[in-house]
Amino acid sequence: MDTKRTGKRNTAPTEHSGAPRAVDHGTTAAFFLASFLLWEVIVRIFHVPRYIIAPPSAVMTQMAARFTDIYKHTLATSLETFVGFGIAVLVGVPLAMATAFSRFLRQTFYPLAVTLEMVPKIAFAPIFVIWLGFGFGSKMVVVLLVCFFPILINGVFGFTSLPTELQYLSRSTGAGAIRAFVKIRLPYALPQLFVGFKGAAVNATIGATIAEWIGGNAGLGYFISMSTGLFRMDIAIAAIIVLTALGLLLYGIVLWVETKMIPWHVSQRARINATGSA
Amino acid sequence: MAAPIPFDTERYSQIGGIFAKLGARVKASRTFLLATVVFVVGWELVVYLFEIPSYLLPSPSNIAVEFYQNFTIIWRSTLVTAYETFAGFFFALALGIPFSLGVAFYRPLRNTIYPATVALQLVPKIALAPLMITWFGFGLTSKILIVFLLCFFPILLNGILGFSSLGTELTYFLTSTGARSKTGFLKVRMPAALPQLFVGIKWAAINATVGATTGEWVGGDAGLGYLIKFTSGDLRINFAFAAIVTLSLLGLFLFYLVVLVERQLIPWHVSQRSTSGMV
Amino acid sequence: MCDSITLYGVKKVYDSRNGPVHAIGPADLSIRKGEFVSFLGPSGCGKSTLVLMVAGLLPPTEGEIRIDGVVVNEPRTDVGIVFQTPVLVDWRSVLGNVLLQVELRGLDPAQYRAHAVELLESVGLGEFLKQRPYELSGGMQQRTAFCRALLHDPPIVLMDEPLGALDAMTRTRLRDDLEKLWLGSPKSVLFVTHDISEAVQLSDRVVVITPRPGRVEREITVDLPHPRDFDVRQSPEFLGYVKDISDIFMQYGVI
Repeated sequence: MDTKRTGKRNTAPTEHSGAPRAVDHGTTAAFFLASFLLWEVIVRIFHVPRYIIAPPSAVMTQMAARFTDIYKHTLATSLETFVGFGIAVLVGVPLAMATAFSRFLRQTFYPLAVTLEMVPKIAFAPIFVIWLGFGFGSKMVVVLLVCFFPILINGVFGFTSLPTELQYLSRSTGAGAIRAFVKIRLPYALPQLFVGFKGAAVNATIGATIAEWIGGNAGLGYFISMSTGLFRMDIAIAAIIVLTALGLLLYGIVLWVETKMIPWHVSQRARINATGSA
Repeated sequence: MAAPIPFDTERYSQIGGIFAKLGARVKASRTFLLATVVFVVGWELVVYLFEIPSYLLPSPSNIAVEFYQNFTIIWRSTLVTAYETFAGFFFALALGIPFSLGVAFYRPLRNTIYPATVALQLVPKIALAPLMITWFGFGLTSKILIVFLLCFFPILLNGILGFSSLGTELTYFLTSTGARSKTGFLKVRMPAALPQLFVGIKWAAINATVGATTGEWVGGDAGLGYLIKFTSGDLRINFAFAAIVTLSLLGLFLFYLVVLVERQLIPWHVSQRSTSGMV
Repeated sequence: MCDSITLYGVKKVYDSRNGPVHAIGPADLSIRKGEFVSFLGPSGCGKSTLVLMVAGLLPPTEGEIRIDGVVVNEPRTDVGIVFQTPVLVDWRSVLGNVLLQVELRGLDPAQYRAHAVELLESVGLGEFLKQRPYELSGGMQQRTAFCRALLHDPPIVLMDEPLGALDAMTRTRLRDDLEKLWLGSPKSVLFVTHDISEAVQLSDRVVVITPRPGRVEREITVDLPHPRDFDVRQSPEFLGYVKDISDIFMQYGVI
């Protein structure tokens, strides 16, 4: 029900409601430029110690100087992130389908999964490190865990919310179970599934980072905590920027697949309009 | 678990809807309670039948015993983590709501703060945890700030969305009455924004314990997160599980506290109606 | 009777990504005090835009609108507005929604309570005062919206396809309700619709608007006695008006 509401709200014209979309891009650009300049100037003029904060110029210098290190750690984190995310999709979607179509699973497994979604799953990270060691495995499993729940819950939501009229329609055509699923139920569930994928994509890098803090000797999370431990804020901030970029890359890939797969959905139409007007 | 990327308010609201829908279902179906019992008993049986060593997977009874034996230390750790969680969460509320109001209704803030928060929203805030520890030390302050960072953005972004998306026709009606801005805000704009604001507050409630736990891992010597890491490092998995269960209960407590307040404040909203309809 | 609302060459052009869109006008028109005027035209002919401009909620691109001789250049507060959807707020009861009109004006709701109850009773909602909008049918919600638009006794009432979202039977009943409300306290009414017989039943004058860009094609004065009950609606005169207007739209290929 809430979903419908949101959809309606998105399509309604909001020209008079002062929506934050009405942002003046000139002011915005000036504000950002000024912020970075101010940051640089304050650090230099007041001789803020480098172990407290590094100026943007130093961060950029480190980005180039430590390229090999950053590259190595980025590879490690990417592997954990992408593999964990991929497995979460491969396990989560079929399980969501099974849960949607099995009354038993819907009444037992699903409520448990929803309760677990509200629990800090990341708390299991130390346990996984003990079970699977300090290497790739434990991190990948943590990523898998934090990606799995958004995919499962949104998947079940998507697969179970086919309107009654559409169910009647597909039944009245005499379509078999498989054809009805492929032609009606799956496309109908896709937008909600992508909501889950996007949530999982955001969680993925965060899971990897935290897992690397618990125990590890590679990856951007490890690199960040090592750098701050040595009071090298310039390196740490450079690594945070790369980590952000990595997260955006995964998120961007999901968005790209989404625009290819469901160009017909309201969210996509709105996005096309939004970028068109920018 | 963590704050999503900007413009993805769709995800917030839909998950919010799911929470509501499921809240209803969970409440409505006694099967949930049954499922929990079956789950716990099944877990116990699996561990017992396959003789799984407790350092791999402790049984619920083992965890319960461990909880009982170490109650004092778990309780002390819970107080620390609860303090960090609640303090950070309430600071985020105290700042996030006024800021979202400012961005929604004050143009200079909309042109500056809003794009800045959208840009910051791209950064996984948890990655700033080591910086916070370096700047503010191993004590409570750094953890409260990390919790604040994780809670602030969902509240801010959903607040902005809520306060700035009054329907066109309702806005026309409001304008045609010539209402003073304060009256219009109190009687129309604020109540209309509350459901979306609560979507953000619920996300913040989920993020809060994650922030506290992670903060304690990155640098700390107290709290449930620290206890989990410390005990699992000692291979006392039973103990670690007892702490994880306690942490989960703390998270659920905060979440349902928010749900309770929501039910009192917006009993008229669709999400709440479906709940009361099911019971 | 003097003119209450006058439009001088009013025109509205919207900016869009594909260039400017000419929505309506230029339109010249005057509406007398207490007159019920319908704007009748197909979807997208800019008739809703016209109403919003009269309310001062949208500025005209060209021309000007005067109400009692005063140029409209900011939102008017002496109007009552009804939209196609009821636009009620879920957090208030039916009575509370009606009283919202005066509360937003900073007036004491207690003084208007009796009048609000009277209005709601006159449209058959006397037993539903304490209900929430979502507990009512669409027709009952829209009746609540009528009462909200009339509570502060505005000299001008603007209605933007108020019956457009309702089912046929409810529409017929609400037409009668509307006519009754208007006969009870005649106000200047601007009524937007795309239903020909609805326009003929309710109006003193029907302003026929052509498809985009909307232009005033003809003004037809409906000279029939009120209330225009079932018998009047079956009369040859009534059906004659309906046919004349239908012919205009057929020429334009709208129907």
